[in-house]
Amino acid sequence: MSKISIFLCNCFGEIGKIIDLESIRKKLETDPAVDSVTIVESLCLPGDAARAHSVIRERGMGKVLIGACSPYGNMEYVRLALAKEGTNVRTVRMVDLREGCAWVHGKNPQGATRKAASQLDMELALLQNMQNSKDVAIQVQQEALVIGAGPAGLSAAAGLARLGFRTHLIDRGSAPGGLLNVVTKTYPADEPGPQKIKSFVDETNKNSLIRFYGKTKVSAVKGYAGDFKVSLAGPEGNTVLRVGAVVLATGARLLFPQGMFGYGKVKNVITQMEMERRFATSAASCKTAVFIQCVGARNGERPYCSTICCPLSLKNAMRVMDENPGAKAYVLHRDIMTPGSVLEAYYRKALQRGVQFIRFDADRPPEVRGQDQVSGVEVFDTISGVSRTLETDLLVLSTPFIPDPDATALARMLNIPVDKYGFYAEVYPIHPVETRNDGIFICGTARWPVSSDQAIAQGEAAAMKAASFLGKETVSALTMSRVPGGKLGHATADAAACTGCGNCVAVCPYEACRLQRTGNRSVSRVIKIRCKACGSCVSVCPNGAMQMPEQNYRVTGEMIRRAFREVR
Amino acid sequence: MSAERGNVKILVFACRWCGLIGADGAGRKRIELPASYRVIPVDCAGYVEPDAVIRALASGATGVAVLGCHVGGCRFNDANHPALKRLELLKTLLDTAGIGGNRLLLGFGTAHESHQYAEMIVDFHEELKGLPSMASWLPAAAVTGDQ
Repeated sequence: MSKISIFLCNCFGEIGKIIDLESIRKKLETDPAVDSVTIVESLCLPGDAARAHSVIRERGMGKVLIGACSPYGNMEYVRLALAKEGTNVRTVRMVDLREGCAWVHGKNPQGATRKAASQLDMELALLQNMQNSKDVAIQVQQEALVIGAGPAGLSAAAGLARLGFRTHLIDRGSAPGGLLNVVTKTYPADEPGPQKIKSFVDETNKNSLIRFYGKTKVSAVKGYAGDFKVSLAGPEGNTVLRVGAVVLATGARLLFPQGMFGYGKVKNVITQMEMERRFATSAASCKTAVFIQCVGARNGERPYCSTICCPLSLKNAMRVMDENPGAKAYVLHRDIMTPGSVLEAYYRKALQRGVQFIRFDADRPPEVRGQDQVSGVEVFDTISGVSRTLETDLLVLSTPFIPDPDATALARMLNIPVDKYGFYAEVYPIHPVETRNDGIFICGTARWPVSSDQAIAQGEAAAMKAASFLGKETVSALTMSRVPGGKLGHATADAAACTGCGNCVAVCPYEACRLQRTGNRSVSRVIKIRCKACGSCVSVCPNGAMQMPEQNYRVTGEMIRRAFREVR
Repeated sequence: MSAERGNVKILVFACRWCGLIGADGAGRKRIELPASYRVIPVDCAGYVEPDAVIRALASGATGVAVLGCHVGGCRFNDANHPALKRLELLKTLLDTAGIGGNRLLLGFGTAHESHQYAEMIVDFHEELKGLPSMASWLPAAAVTGDQ
């Protein structure tokens, strides 16, 4: 067993003035497992890591225990600096003597010293009993799959191809474009929808690295980050792709307001999408148009804001006034949501143009007048406090984005979580467009309602994240982590002890545990690339077959035993 | 035996993502806490097996605290949810066995809830003050705690 070098940091007195480091040093030196104990003034200043490493090298490159500030703050960088010098990063352990000891027990120096000694003793037990996980490396398939060819998917595919990665772009429609194909004018630049994504579509057609699969769906996904095997079902039959990363840009659809405000019964009560189609065929003539906002949104069932409907109504209201001289446009809203400089300016433009805004209360929604054909809308204006009846021949309902009905099935196939509404959930908040399943990235309205501009930006972001992952030739299980310096280790299954109960399979949040048939029994196997080292499988294994080598049962047992024993 | 009473020893299994970051915050705010607890850092509350809790009680701890992220806010997707169920069941078992479910504290907080962390430690310390250690039959040298 290699010997342990201990460094105790004084932190310029922050630790030393409360905890008696000298007495701890004397006690620790009597431990046969300890090679040397060095008290240092600081460990985090430039040059400190090199000095510490020279001590470690002098003593024969053993394991290292550091008693200093919290390992979750600055010490992570000390650990990485030591690793850079050549120390094995996984055999460097840290004990929190400052935040967790000196600073919370400042009025009790004796108690703090005893606690510090215990904590160091416990961590020694860990270092003595820990084993190292065997690393597994896999070859990264340097191709990407982008699901969905709307603005987000197109920009993701174009971004990946521009960086030189072979990209497969699939869509269930026959042509790329998504919802933007329907839109003849987009806000705020008033350019046609297809124009907005023209550069990406051109890239898709011209760039030989992108292959577009129309009318194609994903039927099955196997494998893990770096090596997914995706089965596609399309007009050319089944195709199996091997890709390193998957970008999900499946988009969303707009809520169908059946039964709301007379939709489906009363003529000329239409949705925003039908309005777009009327504009496309120049059949949008009317004397007055009334837009109702937040139809089926920002309520108990769907408390979120769909982001696009307010600017959409502003655009369409102005367009009605432009195309029908003398026409009036009313927007009945609960709040006008136009964040940012560009959209707020767009709102001011609509105000100047003469679009009338009437605020209503969610508890007192507008009422539609008219039996077969809409004749008017009665609305209680909360600002003036009076009920107003607006005569109109067109009523447009602004409905929110809702998740695609296929999204949940796809999420299950790819083992990524969805939020409570059904949109794909990212690793909130510090890893945007990443999902909990490595190698799978999300962007566009599949992730959250966004405008096409934002969807394009998110597509680029997802492409960059995917590219930074695909750029590696090989990845190893221990470095597959969002933590700097890699993960602690990964679970290992002892085939001899395993009875195949399947507890680990049920509890694993990453689907890293699998039951594999060997001979006449089933044995658990860990897919190391997927494992994130949470240890859930360890705690449910009735036979101790599942272990984390770095913090195995011997480590935990010994740490518990040493927690309150008299410190030597 | 009587000397054992009030000699609180708490073993804390704290998750590295929420519980321990909260503990760091408590340190930075210099909140004074009783020095009666020892911490075993774990990567996730899901790692804490029921036997570890029982073993800790058997080897001299007056109480065991398991601190993880909020349910629904787990770093490992939903790993702390089954852990909560498992340990709540253990609480019931401890009550049934006459050991007392109050010796096991399940705390769920986020990384920035350092006041909540401090409050939990102080309250748990107060709660356990009157209780003897489960290992009070062990030789006195084997069990020493701090106040």
